Amino acid sequence: MSDDPYSPLVRESFTRPAHAGDLADAVTVAIEDQGIRLRLSGTQADGRIKALRFRVWGCPHVIAACEYCCARYEGQAVESLGAFRASDIMQILPVPVEKTGRILVLEDAVQSLGQRFCDGSLPG
Amino acid sequence: MTDRLIYLDYAASTPVDKRVARLMLECRETNYANPSSNHAAGRRSAATIATAADQVGELLNVAPGTIVWTSGATESDNLAIAGGANFRAHRGKHLVTMPTEHKAVTDVFRQLEKQGFEVTWLEPDKNGRLHPDRFAAALRADTQLASIMYVNNETGVMQDIATLGSICREHDVLFHVDAAQAAGKVPIDLGVLPVDLLSLTGHKFYGPKGIGALYIADRPGCRVQPILFGGGQQRRIRPGTLPTDLIAGLGLAADIAASSIDADLRHLKALRETLWEGIRDVDGVLVNGDLESGFPGILSVSVDDVEGESLMLALEPICVATGSACNAQVQEPSYVLRALGRSDDLAQSAIRFSLGRPTREEDVVFAARRYCEAVARLRELAPEVAA
Repeated sequence: MSDDPYSPLVRESFTRPAHAGDLADAVTVAIEDQGIRLRLSGTQADGRIKALRFRVWGCPHVIAACEYCCARYEGQAVESLGAFRASDIMQILPVPVEKTGRILVLEDAVQSLGQRFCDGSLPG
Repeated sequence: MTDRLIYLDYAASTPVDKRVARLMLECRETNYANPSSNHAAGRRSAATIATAADQVGELLNVAPGTIVWTSGATESDNLAIAGGANFRAHRGKHLVTMPTEHKAVTDVFRQLEKQGFEVTWLEPDKNGRLHPDRFAAALRADTQLASIMYVNNETGVMQDIATLGSICREHDVLFHVDAAQAAGKVPIDLGVLPVDLLSLTGHKFYGPKGIGALYIADRPGCRVQPILFGGGQQRRIRPGTLPTDLIAGLGLAADIAASSIDADLRHLKALRETLWEGIRDVDGVLVNGDLESGFPGILSVSVDDVEGESLMLALEPICVATGSACNAQVQEPSYVLRALGRSDDLAQSAIRFSLGRPTREEDVVFAARRYCEAVARLRELAPEVAA
């Protein structure tokens, strides 16, 4: 049993977050809650997610969760964002239970972004 | 990038000096008799312990008979504070300390509050120091004991122990000093300093873990009630079979420290200057404490707009502390830094670099560069703060 609080996946996602940054002409959701600041941006074409990017101020698990989420949903149907559940990513990374509130903030952001895609919101 | 761990957490613990480790091993193999046993082997163990008491006594400039062996600073603090307060409880129940003390001190006071003692908690100034006038004003006719640490474990802030001790003597108040971060690292002359009770532990100055000491001044009214009961060892103040090997190790560590303390301080001062020079230009970086009067083995810094846990991970392979090591599993801002007026975010971003005898200049140069890179990377990752 490892004493390391960070799994190899968390470490890799924290160290090399390929999806950190911004997108031009993207739909953007920004949330500040539970001690984190998160901005999630995405672009879509023909009902599929072209690109996702994030910026976040938070702990390593939150950074890793954002990176994992962006990588997971790029190329997927926009409706799939509505099915995102914090509990799934908490098992996959994994994330300690005391950080559930922070991952729920990401869930809110992801689902909100999906809703705005489906509503046909303008970038912003 | 290096795979080698760079250990800059000497305030949490230090490696055992090789000479100390050798002596302890030898002691375990050949000097195993119970020092309380009245036979030749027991007397040999007792003699080893007497030598260690001489060595600790020389480090502090006190008689060896004033040293009581304990399991470490936490027990020493408990024995001094609870034992001292209870010994003098018939004279009054008012006690004085600071909220920036180690938990091994503050939690004893909180326990005594539950038992009917009244505690005055003196806030530090923004640099973590306690002004002697404020200390003197807090002492009352019924004050029996005050406890102020020598070197703060999180910030390195050093208190004016000589002046505070003098004030205690004027008011006939027992004065306890938690010197866990000071003993063996800064000169302590208890032949001059008006201190009644002083706690130390071996593993902070290259001795073993699991052994510490409490100095109890040999003067009228300076006594403690035991907090452990069992055998009659150590004049019944702290019963229990004495661990000869650990005590011998602590004694030798004290002996080595006594001869190297000046060189150690010069070494640490130069390292801290190099470290601070390397990070001082980071936008928004703040020193927690005071570089001028602080212990040079500790540099605690906070920085705007960076999350502490991420900063600590980004600093790997450097081993540092956020807050005190004893609190590392708790996700809450350091109470010490909050007492210095730091916001929750600044307190959570705090990194304590603590340097030691084995630290090399290249270690702190690397650490400074790593710190600058980590802060820049995490800031780049963060969204702008909403206006």
